[in-house]
Amino acid sequence: MSAFKEFSKGIYAENPVFKQALGLCPTLAVSNSVENGLGMGLAATFVLVCSNVIISLIRKSVPPKIRIPIYIVVIATFVTMIDLSMAGFFPALHKSLGIFVPLIVVNCIILGRAEAYAGKNNAGLSFLDGLGMGIGFTLALMLLGVIRELLGNGSLFGLPMLGAHFEPVLIMILPPGAFLTIGFVLGFFNWLENRRQNN
Amino acid sequence: MKDILKLSSILMLITTIAATALAAVYSVTKPRIELKKQEALNAAKSVALPGADLNAIYDVKGNDKVLYYSGYMDTTKSNLVGYAFLTSGRGYSSDIESIVGVDSTGNIIGIQVLSQTETPGLGTRIEEIRYGESLTWVQKQFIGKSAKNLAVDKDGGEIQSITGATISSRAVTNSIVAGYEDLLKQLKETN
Repeated sequence: MSAFKEFSKGIYAENPVFKQALGLCPTLAVSNSVENGLGMGLAATFVLVCSNVIISLIRKSVPPKIRIPIYIVVIATFVTMIDLSMAGFFPALHKSLGIFVPLIVVNCIILGRAEAYAGKNNAGLSFLDGLGMGIGFTLALMLLGVIRELLGNGSLFGLPMLGAHFEPVLIMILPPGAFLTIGFVLGFFNWLENRRQNN
Repeated sequence: MKDILKLSSILMLITTIAATALAAVYSVTKPRIELKKQEALNAAKSVALPGADLNAIYDVKGNDKVLYYSGYMDTTKSNLVGYAFLTSGRGYSSDIESIVGVDSTGNIIGIQVLSQTETPGLGTRIEEIRYGESLTWVQKQFIGKSAKNLAVDKDGGEIQSITGATISSRAVTNSIVAGYEDLLKQLKETN
């Protein structure tokens, strides 16, 4: 597979949310506005790229039997270090992204990519894989965010879009709206895939 | 048996390296984080006590701990603006810490949330400014009200809780009531 394909597969063909159904917990939790989706996506992309590179670099010295606990230790350490450094050196960034950091620790995309990809490939390819998956995750969160914020709040990025007469469907920005939206979006992507295969 | 020893020593080595790295980052960043916190607190004091001169906001201490802050119009200490206190309450996923300023009759004159990690988009709206408005939720709800008998609408009060974030709204509301009661006690003791 070409290097470009390693990067681009995460965006659509193997999109972590829509195709692999990974990381649904943070996806459901923070996709209630476009801005939150973007913030969570960027923070997760950063951690994903860094953890993929590190896991890839140490993959040869990790005994297969205990690779999962080692990956978890590496990722958790890394996330905490990023959190502390952001708070100390970039307080403005920490104020907007810091809220997502505790959610990243439980994001199974990161462990999933470590296990499925970074543990078997070199650092360069793992970097591209992490970047592609991260961007795919970000786009998925933003797509859900657009639907939910538009219907549930009548706005995008906090700016009113649908005029004063629009009555927001509040349930869309509450947890049930997350399940409804992801159900329809997943269904849509499966329908597209089926149609493509039948042709 | 040999395998177990080997694997566990590798795991121990890695956790030791991770712990050392964490300790190093922690010790470098801790003083900086404290400094930023102090700067943020100083800024928040003037938000909580609008009209008070920055140099005329004094820490009132008891047993080496800051009990509350008293703010005056100027350093002559002749015109009291009000008192500010720190308070925190357990929200949905974090402790919500805020600073609240009250005048001498107990009316809230300023408030700011200092730290919280509630659910983004729901609980975090306590300190967000909605489009077309100029105040955060806490400022809009609390400024001008007496700090004595506050309660959210679901508890029969007049504070409009945020849809989908009743727990966060209630935590802030109840922490103000509790903090104000403490302030009254401390005012009696220190004066």
